[in-house]
Amino acid sequence: MASPGGHGGGAVSTRGGGGTRRMKWALELSLGNTRQFPVPSCRSRGDRQSSQGDTLYPIGYSDKPVPDTSVQEADRNLVEKRCWDVALGPLKQIPMNLFIMYMSGNTISIFPIMMVCMMAWRPIQALMSLSATFKLLESSSQQWLQGIVYLIGNLLGSALAIYKCQSMGLLPTHSSDWLAFIEPPQRMEIMGGGMVL
Amino acid sequence: MANLRTCLAFLFLCCSLCDAVYEDQVGKFDWRQQYVGKVLFAHFESHSQASKKLILATDKNIVASLNPRTGDLFWRQVDKAGPEGHIDTLLFHGQDAVVVTGNGRLLRSWESSVGALNWEMLLDPGSFLAAVLVGTQDSVKFVAVLKKATVSLHYLSNGHQKWTETLPDSDTVHYQAVYSSGGSQLFVLGVVPHSHLSIITFNIEDGEITSQRSVDAPWLSSIQARCTVVGQGVLICADASTLSLYMLPLSSEEPVGLQQVPLQSLDLDLALGFQPVLLTTQPNPARPPLAQFFLQLGPDHHVLLQLSDGHLSPLRDFQPAFLVSFATTGEKTVAAVLSPKNETVSSKEGWLVFDHVCNEQACSVSLYSADSGRRLLDTTVTIHLDPNGGKPEKLYVHAFLKKDDSVGYRVLVQTEDHTITFLQQPGRIVWTREEALADVVTMEMVDLPLTGTQAELEGEFGKKAAGLAGYGLAAMVLKRLSSQLILLQAWIAHLWKLFYDARKPRSQVKNEVTIETLARDEFNLQKMMVMVTASGKLFGIDSKSGMVLWKHYLRNVQPNAVFKLMVQRTTAHFPHPPQCTLLIKDKETGLAALHVFNPIFGKKSHVTPPTLSRPVLQSLLLPLMDQDYSKVLLLIDDEYKVTAFPSTKNVLQQLQEMASAIYFFLVDASQGKLSGFRLRKDLSTELIWEVVIPPEVQKIVAVKGKRANEHVHSQGRVMGDRSVLYKYLNPNLLAVVTESVDTHQERSFVGVFLIDGVTGRIIHEAVQRKARGPIHLVHSENWVVYEYWNAKSRRNEFSVLELFEGTELYNSTVFSSLDRPHLPQVLQQSYIFPSSISTMEATLTEKGITSRHLLVGLPSGAILSLPKMFLDPRRPEMATEQSREENLIPYAPEMPIRTEWFINYNQSVTRVRGIYTAPSGLESTCLVVAYGLDIFQTRVYPSKQFDVLKDDYDYVLISSVLFGLFFATMISKRLAQVKLLNRAWR
Repeated sequence: MASPGGHGGGAVSTRGGGGTRRMKWALELSLGNTRQFPVPSCRSRGDRQSSQGDTLYPIGYSDKPVPDTSVQEADRNLVEKRCWDVALGPLKQIPMNLFIMYMSGNTISIFPIMMVCMMAWRPIQALMSLSATFKLLESSSQQWLQGIVYLIGNLLGSALAIYKCQSMGLLPTHSSDWLAFIEPPQRMEIMGGGMVL
Repeated sequence: MANLRTCLAFLFLCCSLCDAVYEDQVGKFDWRQQYVGKVLFAHFESHSQASKKLILATDKNIVASLNPRTGDLFWRQVDKAGPEGHIDTLLFHGQDAVVVTGNGRLLRSWESSVGALNWEMLLDPGSFLAAVLVGTQDSVKFVAVLKKATVSLHYLSNGHQKWTETLPDSDTVHYQAVYSSGGSQLFVLGVVPHSHLSIITFNIEDGEITSQRSVDAPWLSSIQARCTVVGQGVLICADASTLSLYMLPLSSEEPVGLQQVPLQSLDLDLALGFQPVLLTTQPNPARPPLAQFFLQLGPDHHVLLQLSDGHLSPLRDFQPAFLVSFATTGEKTVAAVLSPKNETVSSKEGWLVFDHVCNEQACSVSLYSADSGRRLLDTTVTIHLDPNGGKPEKLYVHAFLKKDDSVGYRVLVQTEDHTITFLQQPGRIVWTREEALADVVTMEMVDLPLTGTQAELEGEFGKKAAGLAGYGLAAMVLKRLSSQLILLQAWIAHLWKLFYDARKPRSQVKNEVTIETLARDEFNLQKMMVMVTASGKLFGIDSKSGMVLWKHYLRNVQPNAVFKLMVQRTTAHFPHPPQCTLLIKDKETGLAALHVFNPIFGKKSHVTPPTLSRPVLQSLLLPLMDQDYSKVLLLIDDEYKVTAFPSTKNVLQQLQEMASAIYFFLVDASQGKLSGFRLRKDLSTELIWEVVIPPEVQKIVAVKGKRANEHVHSQGRVMGDRSVLYKYLNPNLLAVVTESVDTHQERSFVGVFLIDGVTGRIIHEAVQRKARGPIHLVHSENWVVYEYWNAKSRRNEFSVLELFEGTELYNSTVFSSLDRPHLPQVLQQSYIFPSSISTMEATLTEKGITSRHLLVGLPSGAILSLPKMFLDPRRPEMATEQSREENLIPYAPEMPIRTEWFINYNQSVTRVRGIYTAPSGLESTCLVVAYGLDIFQTRVYPSKQFDVLKDDYDYVLISSVLFGLFFATMISKRLAQVKLLNRAWR
């Protein structure tokens, strides 16, 4: 799973849970976080700190401004967008896969086999961790639609892999593939003889 | 999947194209033995002290030289097979071996030390009668050759003809002998049967007839067998009807008649119905023969006679004495006499014991002075004859003077089973050669028995297990533990032996193979070769070393007998010994006999075979087994009745149940008739089909079914589009080859019929026009390959027929010839082969997964391993995508012969007559034995050795890399731990 998505998910859940937990964490870290809004004063204090030495300030104090997370909290559209990113991820990979498929060709050698394995394995892995992905999408209003799109994307990916296997001749779909399992027929008559000795 | 397979197949293809033996593999798993055949003439080269040689001429048209110390071949000159190269006589003088071949066609002289041809002369036409060395003034200069109407004299040095003279009255007089005693005269003796004897004297210098006379001899029919010249030119003839000897001085001028000497006057008596035989010796062709000669009066009765002053007197009577021979060294001539060792016993019982006396006890050879008949002291050689061998037939003695001027000798004994044994005093066998192996008729390979430990393990799952099951689990566990313990013990012993042997130098470690230590190896690569020879001697040969482990001579086997060897019980049924049955059919009487024996030890089995009162036409080995696991053999007699062997109640009951499914076919080539029969419950038969191929137009030359032990792994062929073309695998299919009676180039043809042996249905018929035999045929799986001579284009051609059922199987579970509505598709293709061939066989493997090769014996002595892939009627003319997918090689009319396909590299197999293939325990490996004049054994890997590591596999490198990596991991793990700890402290 891509890391920005995870970060985004974390942000979403924090926001959904309410401000208290965030405020508690912010309190422990530094004083500056409690006084987010009087920014000019903070700056003036920081200037003073640097001139007067470390001893005046508590542990964990940072003179750099802490990024403002509350900006995203307000932007629900961004959440939706992130969720769609997640849902459309597998679909977006398909053109890339198609290109790789085309490039690797139908000969059987180690490189194309690795490609096919990867192509087949990724959607299967994604489908297996489907519930975890659904949890990610919980915050979205279009959760179900996104889930279905995600599923379809993965299914398409695996179908592509199967098609690739097929075109490489790795699927036992012909009668010749089962030839080795045909038992020799049982002989009904016993026959022998030859030239008159 | 299919792609993977084709990929693998392609790999195999690539591998099989470089299928030759590496230099260091030579002789590692192959061996060759060279033979010469039955000895007809033998001479010891004794003139030069340094290089002693034994010069032989044999019935296989071979002149050879043997090392008398080891019995190995110094050189061997192989002439054409058949009457064209037949050796009429071998004369030996000094360094020259003079040979007359092909019924007097050629006169050749071979240099005895290296086997080079000194000269060769084409003789005038006419059937050969006799040849003799002619000497004048104590030196041998000429060879006289007597033919039906001419006598000619040739120089010994260059073969040029000195003179040739026509013989008078050659249409009435049968000239049979030529004689010279060192003077200026050459005598030619002829006979008009039952009338008179004709003696013509030629002058050696110019060939002029100096005298010509005839002597009445109404009792004489032939000179060759009955007459000989002794002493100073006295002709002696023996006659059985008048019980007399006749003497006639050849050179006397006055017309004297034959002087009759009755045998009774010499106190001699002729054995009843025995034709007397005379034996004389002429140590030097430039001097007259000895005055002493042997007269054989009975099978075991010889008399040494002396002619002095025109009187005959017996010197010594030898009875019993089977064989006599003269030998000369320097000025001394001795007589060697072979007699039974225990003289007192045999003389009491008379010559009735003759048949057995030399077989069951030792014989001895003693020397007697030829001048006096006195026995020479300390000259006895005891011969312990092999109880499984034949009687002594001929004696060749090599006498030499010892330092103390006494006579020493070595003796070459030829027995009737074509074995030659070289002995020296006092009875030590220097070497033995089994020349019967030059004429192998048929052979089988039998698995060796398991060792005791292996058998123990097998027993756990066999009969014993059934008994143990009653005792419950604990007993079974104990049993398993004990057998594992035994295996462990054996393994440790084996390791110890390996370790122990490793310290010895290589040359000292010899794996002596004896019949007791024989055991199956891990991959069943070592087998017992059971060989049947034309002389009636059976051999058991270890396939790994080529050592003869047992031999058994069958007496009373006619020279033209037909043999058929069958393995009734293999070694797989442990407490029961393996069992082979040899069917021997006498061509003349048609009566057959069965010889049942154990193929591992060669001993005759206790099982009594049925007595066959009627001539046997064919035999049939059924897959049915009796309670002792021996397969049932059916013998069909000329009344089309069937005899079963073994014929226990169990077998008869099984036969009754199975009778309706047992069919057999008989091919009568003389009448061009193929007939099929079905077995009835009462073991009689009914004719169910008959196909007549008119013998006036074409004659049947070969009929071949499929081998019973052949497995076909793949039931079809994968096409380029990955569909399947199913093979037509009819186990009852017969390939019948005919040749036209008309051999004219334009009208001759070769016919190939594929006939179902059960129903008689002709599945396919192909005619190759303007083609001629000899035809060599291989029939296997779903294909038939045959080779013929294309009379129009004057070249040898291969043709391949392949049968397919199509893309659908009619019935995939059972195959019944009676229910086959559709005919198979037949594909055919022909190729040009750049050489004629001697024989052909296909490789055979255990499961039939490995690709097939054809083993082609070429007249040059090479054995070609030709991939079947090249003989594939689906080879396309133009390579397409699909055919490339299928690995089909585009059609090329010419079949290549690549020297790296010769499986016997430079070990030529002369006159290869048959190739036998047997599967081994490894799927990749097929055992091959080529036999003819020589025997060659090797292994072939048609798809390369895919199931074992190669010989040159680098164990050292691989294991050192493995160990290195292991230690590197250990060390780096330790280092990493230390580093982590250090970092934690920091």
